[in-house]
Amino acid sequence: MEDILKVEHVSKRFAEHTALDDVSLSIPRGSVYGLLGPNGAGKTTLIRIINRITAPDTGRVLFDGHELRPEDVRRIGYLPEERGLYKKMKVGEQALFFARLKGLTRHDATQRLREWFRKFGIESWWGKRVDELSKGMAQKVQFIVTVLHEPELLIFDEPFSGFDPINANLLKEEILALRDRGATVIFSTHNMSSVEEVCDHITLINKSHNILSGRVDDIRHSHGTNLFEVSYRGEESALRAAAAGRCELLDGTETQSIYRTIRLHVASDAEVRGVIAALNEAVEVRSFTEVIPSMNDIFIRAVNGSL
Amino acid sequence: MSNISIIVGREFNERVRKKSFIITTILMPVLLIALMAAPALIMHFTRGETKSIAVIDESGLVAPALESGAEAEFETTELSLDEARRELTDHFGVLWIGPDVLTNPGNVKLYANASSSMALEENIRNQIERVLEAEKLKGYQIEDLDRILAEVHTEVTMQTFRNDESQEEDAQAQSSAVSAFVGFALGMVLYMFLVIYGAMVMQSVIEEKNNRVLEVIVSSVRPFDLMMGKILGVACVAVVQILLWVVLVVGIGGLVMPHLMPADVLASAQAVQSGALDASTAAAAAGIDPDMLQALATATDLGYVVMLVVWLLLFLIGGYLLYSAMFAAVGSSVDNVQDAQQLQTPITIPIILGFLVAMSVMNDPNSQIAFWFSIIPFTSPVVMMARIPCGIPMWEILLSLVLLYASFVVMVWLAAKIYRVGIFMYGKKPTFRELAKWMRYKS
Repeated sequence: MEDILKVEHVSKRFAEHTALDDVSLSIPRGSVYGLLGPNGAGKTTLIRIINRITAPDTGRVLFDGHELRPEDVRRIGYLPEERGLYKKMKVGEQALFFARLKGLTRHDATQRLREWFRKFGIESWWGKRVDELSKGMAQKVQFIVTVLHEPELLIFDEPFSGFDPINANLLKEEILALRDRGATVIFSTHNMSSVEEVCDHITLINKSHNILSGRVDDIRHSHGTNLFEVSYRGEESALRAAAAGRCELLDGTETQSIYRTIRLHVASDAEVRGVIAALNEAVEVRSFTEVIPSMNDIFIRAVNGSL
Repeated sequence: MSNISIIVGREFNERVRKKSFIITTILMPVLLIALMAAPALIMHFTRGETKSIAVIDESGLVAPALESGAEAEFETTELSLDEARRELTDHFGVLWIGPDVLTNPGNVKLYANASSSMALEENIRNQIERVLEAEKLKGYQIEDLDRILAEVHTEVTMQTFRNDESQEEDAQAQSSAVSAFVGFALGMVLYMFLVIYGAMVMQSVIEEKNNRVLEVIVSSVRPFDLMMGKILGVACVAVVQILLWVVLVVGIGGLVMPHLMPADVLASAQAVQSGALDASTAAAAAGIDPDMLQALATATDLGYVVMLVVWLLLFLIGGYLLYSAMFAAVGSSVDNVQDAQQLQTPITIPIILGFLVAMSVMNDPNSQIAFWFSIIPFTSPVVMMARIPCGIPMWEILLSLVLLYASFVVMVWLAAKIYRVGIFMYGKKPTFRELAKWMRYKS
């Protein structure tokens, strides 16, 4: 897949600390790309460099095959973590103002805004001042402002913070819909569950370094530890007898239901089929699944330096 | 350029629609005119009813010569002081004049039943002084004294003319008093605008920084465009406000003046303007003070007013641009208005200094100090504006303007550098040394 954005060996130092140290990453067109990392890792600095708000000390950013140019920012939509709207300004006028800064004509902007306001069911907010809105409401407006000019690259910094589950879901669906229409989405967050749901690629930044990059599925599988979980019906002793010599059994869990589960460790992928066959002879196997670490586990392990 | 114009549009629209802008724009001219009309109004309303005063004159000299007027009515009484004070409660008061008042002028007492007024007391004092002086003069036995005094009495009025090339021989007389006053008022207006509108730019930058609006805007436009857009947007507001004030003052003044002033006074003011008459002749004809007439003639001279407004706008815009660039830089480098105080000081000092010099200009518009402070860019807008009404050579004004606008360009360039770094610095308040360092950053 062709990359819409490439960050090559970017470093940025501030007076007291280094925000980014030789960070490289490639963002494939049409993907939802998660930019992960603990607070203060350098995510926001990287995003600002991509937005041309700050310049890197060394390294370069390629957008659509060429070095990032000032006019490219019109093809980028940015939703900052700390939302920025003029509090005293009316919602409609404000949205128009930002849309026109992104190069839309007044006429086009008005039309598209009306459409989005209808879609989100917020037409009645047009004449309200921003400080009359709740935080979540203001965020909806900010989201519309970000995507209105239909940019090819969207950057969302913690987009779900402050949303209730219903609105967070609405937002998630809109983001996925934007991707389906061809936009590329960069998603900066430290909320891992949202990563598993929407991202297909990630980069993990910690202490100004890129410590992990790739497809979400690949990463999770490569971090698998050949741990499996069996759900079965039958005698535990029969299971143990069948497993002996083939794999290492771990603690089982006692359940009220007629099915019991137990975890086991298989030495290599090649032996998995044999284990399943042997167990199935001894007991009634209901399920046999690999225990894939969650992104949350990977995140914590990676940050704590065990990778 | 189109980005700047969008930002200018937003700044302008948001500010002009604010209630505070509308109120101050309407209220200021009204206040100004009220201030001008105040003396006449006060005189009109304080002219109370006539007060009747009983006079006990032990000397016998004063009472017959006291003249009753609109303010006080005197009547001699035969009662003793105690009786008069007890019984004549329907009178305003009792005036007692001692028997030796000629040699001891302090021996005069007024017993008032109500609070007395300064004007009344002065009236009585003056009358007694006049009587006693006349009485003393009589002792010199000069013949025809009244006639001599009347002949000797002289009042001098002086007219001042400006001697520059543009003026012909029938040079129009200028009232220095009016020029000085107008100059001071213009310097004051400049001072107010620099401080108020400069601070407005600063606060607006701080607000955007706190709202994090900056981050959204800077991802669409260059920081320089944003800063210039803001500065120019607020400048438009300032210009609109000042033009509205001029229109309102001239408009209301034009409507009200003819009603306040008798027609013959206005006619003679116009005659003085056109040079047909000189002020003293015209004043004598209209029966008013020549200085007043001169002032009126100057103030109603359209060419003079237009010239002042044009210079005012040029210096206002130049001075504002220079200072607002500095205010924007300060605003960008702090998180809140409190932190701005210290960084603001070096900006406000020249403005205040200019204002102080402008006050001294009233005495001598061509002193060395006035000249230099009106040429040096930081103080020049305020001081030059105070000097212009007094009539100064054109080259001085133009030199001052060129320097002012040149320093604005340099200042914007420096301010933009600070601004670019400052807007993303949160947390700690920078020192001057750090600001200097930011200027050297390349973006």
